[in-house]
Amino acid sequence: MITCKVCKNQEYIGAIFCSECGSALLAEHHLDDDTVVYPRREGDPNYMDIPHPEKSIPEGNIALYLPDYETYLDLPEENEFTLGRLIEGQVITPEVDLDPYDGFDNGISRLHATIRINPKKNSIQVLDLGSANGTRVNGYEIPANSEVPLTHEDILTLGKLHLKVIIPEKYRS
Amino acid sequence: MSEKTDFYNRLNLSPNASEKEIRRAYRQAVKKAHPDVNKRDGATRLFLDIQEAYKVLSDPKLKEAYDEGREPSEPSRVKTAVTYSRPALDRIDEPQVIYALLHIITTQKQQENPELPINVAIVLDTSTSMQGRRMQLLKAATREITRDLNEEDRFSIITFNDRANVLVPSYHERNESQVEAKINSLIAEGGTEIFQGLEAGFHEVRNVITQNYVNHIILITDGHTYGDEGNCLNLAEKAAELDIGISGLGIGNEWNDEFLDEVTTTAGGQSFYIEHPKEVKDFLKGTISNLKKSYSRNITLNINKSAGVNLLSVFRLLPEVTPLSPTAQIQLGSLKFDKPHQLLLELLVKPLPEDIETFLIADAHLEIKRKKSSFTIPLALNRPISSQEDEPVPPPDMLYRAISRLTLYRLQEKAQEDLKKGKPDVAYQRMINLASHLMSKGEDSLAKTAMEEADHIKSHHTFSPEGKKQIKYGTRRMMLPGNIPEDLS
Repeated sequence: MITCKVCKNQEYIGAIFCSECGSALLAEHHLDDDTVVYPRREGDPNYMDIPHPEKSIPEGNIALYLPDYETYLDLPEENEFTLGRLIEGQVITPEVDLDPYDGFDNGISRLHATIRINPKKNSIQVLDLGSANGTRVNGYEIPANSEVPLTHEDILTLGKLHLKVIIPEKYRS
Repeated sequence: MSEKTDFYNRLNLSPNASEKEIRRAYRQAVKKAHPDVNKRDGATRLFLDIQEAYKVLSDPKLKEAYDEGREPSEPSRVKTAVTYSRPALDRIDEPQVIYALLHIITTQKQQENPELPINVAIVLDTSTSMQGRRMQLLKAATREITRDLNEEDRFSIITFNDRANVLVPSYHERNESQVEAKINSLIAEGGTEIFQGLEAGFHEVRNVITQNYVNHIILITDGHTYGDEGNCLNLAEKAAELDIGISGLGIGNEWNDEFLDEVTTTAGGQSFYIEHPKEVKDFLKGTISNLKKSYSRNITLNINKSAGVNLLSVFRLLPEVTPLSPTAQIQLGSLKFDKPHQLLLELLVKPLPEDIETFLIADAHLEIKRKKSSFTIPLALNRPISSQEDEPVPPPDMLYRAISRLTLYRLQEKAQEDLKKGKPDVAYQRMINLASHLMSKGEDSLAKTAMEEADHIKSHHTFSPEGKKQIKYGTRRMMLPGNIPEDLS
């Protein structure tokens, strides 16, 4: 059997999509029409042209910049990690703790969203884990449990916390 | 027939060349091939071939006999191909799924063949709900298509509510103004008993049934039928046996789509949905013009599965997207000129015996009825077995696309099942997922409808009647394939 990465449903070997949530089971097969790009909100000062200091971009890696805190988020080396809020006694913990960035006030759930980076680093996806206050890409709310691709300079908003997506030039498509 | 052996090809001619053209082509060919001029190897052979061809083609009697023998046999005019989701089955001790996309096409072209005459019954729902604009547009559409029919076509018009009424019988003298006056006299009243109408339509078509005609019933309804579903299905089976196809059109949101799907596909047809009654005319015109473009009458796919194989689902993708029941004998409707049939089969294969290299998944054959004859085309579904544990190979794009769309259609079906099981929260999440997948495929307006339905489910624990049909037929429409594989086009 194959396990669906998104909803953990079991499918027969040879299946191509998860029959429960519709996610593709073969990660490497992408047709052009299968990617969604959430449009930028033209002229919205909240989302456009938030500058980020070029100098401190971590070398060669995908980075998340916190405009409101003027800092980069420390990201683990893994290609898949979860953003959330670490609370004492929690069983499943997020890899990246957003509590230092006013996680509670910003409405971050304990397990808010997962970031997936393709091993070739040329694509990055966000998956909202059914968070209480939702996740937005460029101001558009994304559905829970569905992978949404991110492109360079997209604004990812978890609850009320904004993160700017920085993809190194060589990986941009 | 190969190029070298065909006499017309030897002279570089088309089969309908005139006597004069044949003479001219012969002289030109001879000039080039004469051994005095052409010193290459094989020139003598070529020269003799040309002589042989000309000897036959220049003699009207010999030519006629040759032309007759030259006509390829009917089965060679239907081509089939199968695309699989995987190059091989895995040698594993658990069940596995494989998809097969079946293509069926005739190499005959419409332009070389006359349109087939039709024998059609138009069965109209005239229950109270058809009142007003629906009725007016239905009358206008029916008037218009009866005017468009040819002299040799046979048609009847049946109206039904709680009872059926044969408005125009299939044995009628052509009198346009009389037919139109009858159509104009229709009034909407009473309930909807589809069986009444369907049965009367069936009798009208059967009364004048001919094998050289395309025999068909077109049912147009806007309501639910109660209690006579079983009778309708039995009738559809009888119709299939006699090669009478059934198309169904549902107007608005009140009719029972599952039921209409079942009745129509049993007889090799399909159901359609229109939101606005003004689309009735296009539907009727399209259906009739499609019927006339038939190469064959009904095609039946017979599937003899090997032991340990389950046919999980069957979807016709072309000419119209329709779910079919995964039975051993599937009615596919008539094969059209210039339009392939495409069928997606989803098969489950149980663990395979260890000592075989190739597995015959199913031994199938197509039964094609054309004019007075019928013929069968064998079709074996088999795959080699591979024990390499490589990364799975992605399926061909065309198949991937079809399955990706099928998955979305299934999501809306599952959301309906969730609701039937009393799980609106699961249905809600599924519709949200569906909306995001639709968005990613550029189907923005359908995605919006899915989001609205998700909200509707959250607050009312049901689909809205219009949203349910929009999503069902919308995701179905997305399955229409864009292109045909090269070896068949």
